Amino acid sequence: MTAAAQADGRRPTKPRPSLAVPLGLAAFVAITWISVSREFGINLDLGELAENITRGARILWREDDNPADRGLLSPNWVFLSQTAAPMIETFAMAVLASVMGCGLALPISFLVSQVTTPNRAVFAIGRAVLSVIRAIPDILYALLFVAAVGVGPLPGILALLFFNIGVTVKLLSETVDGVDPGPIEAGRASGAKGIQSIRWAVLPQVLPNYVAYSLYVFELNIRASTVLGIVGAGGIGRMLYREYGFFHWSNVSVIIVELFVMVFFIELVSIWLRRRLV
Amino acid sequence: MTVRERGRPEREGRPTKPSSAKRNAGFAFVLLLIAVSALSVNIKIERVVDLPSGIWLVVYKMYFERGPDWSYLGVSIEHMIQSIEIAWVGTIIGAVLSLPIGFVAAKNVSSGPVSNIFRQLLNGIRAFPELVLAVAIFIPIAGLGPVAGALAIGIHSIGTLGKLTAEVVEGIDPGPVEAARAVGGRWAQIQRWGVLPQVLPEIVAFWLYRFEINIRSAAVLGVVGAGGIGFIVQQTIVFGRFPLAGTALLVVILATILVDTVSGWVRRRIIEGVETRRIVDAEIEQPSLSSASAVRP
Repeated sequence: MTAAAQADGRRPTKPRPSLAVPLGLAAFVAITWISVSREFGINLDLGELAENITRGARILWREDDNPADRGLLSPNWVFLSQTAAPMIETFAMAVLASVMGCGLALPISFLVSQVTTPNRAVFAIGRAVLSVIRAIPDILYALLFVAAVGVGPLPGILALLFFNIGVTVKLLSETVDGVDPGPIEAGRASGAKGIQSIRWAVLPQVLPNYVAYSLYVFELNIRASTVLGIVGAGGIGRMLYREYGFFHWSNVSVIIVELFVMVFFIELVSIWLRRRLV
Repeated sequence: MTVRERGRPEREGRPTKPSSAKRNAGFAFVLLLIAVSALSVNIKIERVVDLPSGIWLVVYKMYFERGPDWSYLGVSIEHMIQSIEIAWVGTIIGAVLSLPIGFVAAKNVSSGPVSNIFRQLLNGIRAFPELVLAVAIFIPIAGLGPVAGALAIGIHSIGTLGKLTAEVVEGIDPGPVEAARAVGGRWAQIQRWGVLPQVLPEIVAFWLYRFEINIRSAAVLGVVGAGGIGFIVQQTIVFGRFPLAGTALLVVILATILVDTVSGWVRRRIIEGVETRRIVDAEIEQPSLSSASAVRP
């Protein structure tokens, strides 16, 4: 039919335009309009924002006798020594939470992967629990754990732990879903059961990915642990929020520079290591 | 190798075992890191012992003592909707700004040094968490409220979205670009007709994916006064009104899962098209996740 039409020199008929694109665009415009509107949304007014942008200037630079109050552009380096202890705490929280979280995530991932799950019930319940765990943001975990065990690094580590399990299990269980079934069959043929098959047929296949995910999660933890202190869960965030509360912008500036340097370099190292591994 | 050079007979031609010195050094370094961290964190052991009972007590007060307080449902939903709106606006800001930056950061579109500069800029932006951006920059500019939150999320999103955009653009088929150049396209025309149609589906999927992540960020920005449900969760917990906190937390969980489900479905439709959409979820999620290398901010 089509060939005949082309032989006549006529063009093939254009495919009917899909309804999905205009519908999607309409939904996009509607949601955006509601979101920025004054009545139903967040009242985003670009004109007002442009006027207010000069308000930001007074936190960037100003004259003050107190070196802590001079603004973000003149960091008060004397303050640096006071930040050392909370910075170390931030880093230590991230390390401990990553190790524990990734350690726990490994067996859980095997429970909730289609390839290695012991039975359908464990798989279904595990997936449901994990989607709830992933739906709660790290800071809300921190709030709950601070209420449960008081302020300090302990609730912070716990919050990161739950956050880690959510991320690592999702990534790793999907990697396990995609392994080559050959080695598993070979293992089964030679009499391997359950854990043996996981240990010798699945684990070697996903190990490089697992190490890469662990490093990635460590990066996420470093970033997350810097703000947990805002709700009292240990680390530099507590000091950052306190200095912000006193409008000590020059001290805030020192902390921000430190955070930037730490996160930036850890990420560089981690990305380099991940590239070598996978 | 060295064995053969010295002229000694090899053991039945077996290759020498690769050295594990590097790996052992790595393990030792990680163990050292853990030990130093464990010693430097000041945690009293009796608090760890009290942990399970403490956590259970909070869960009990929220959901089992008198059950969650359903009269708070309306207020919670209202605040959660604001969080979703913050995430939506933030994602749009991030998407609009990251698209041109991502193109310029791609090596095959711009030159080497320019691409490097923009890559580092994107890495730099990513290093600041949303909460820090909100506290240090956007609350002073826009005042307390959801606008500051949306701006903080938007700027932070540029980091990851720009990086992913650059990676997708670097992976394109060069054919259409050459074709556009061959018929006399200018730089902008080549990008519009040679590059954009190839990368747009994947980039739009990334935007939706980022929206899912931003929902979680927007749910906590209220802790510093940048709008959304985080504020009421914090207030109810701090003042010990746990049945109210329980309701709010439930709303956060359900709304997040709902948005994830809808957005995930749309993403799969965009990437896979209509015909192949019945392929099991895991097979589709896998490549997009590993190339995104980001589950969370």
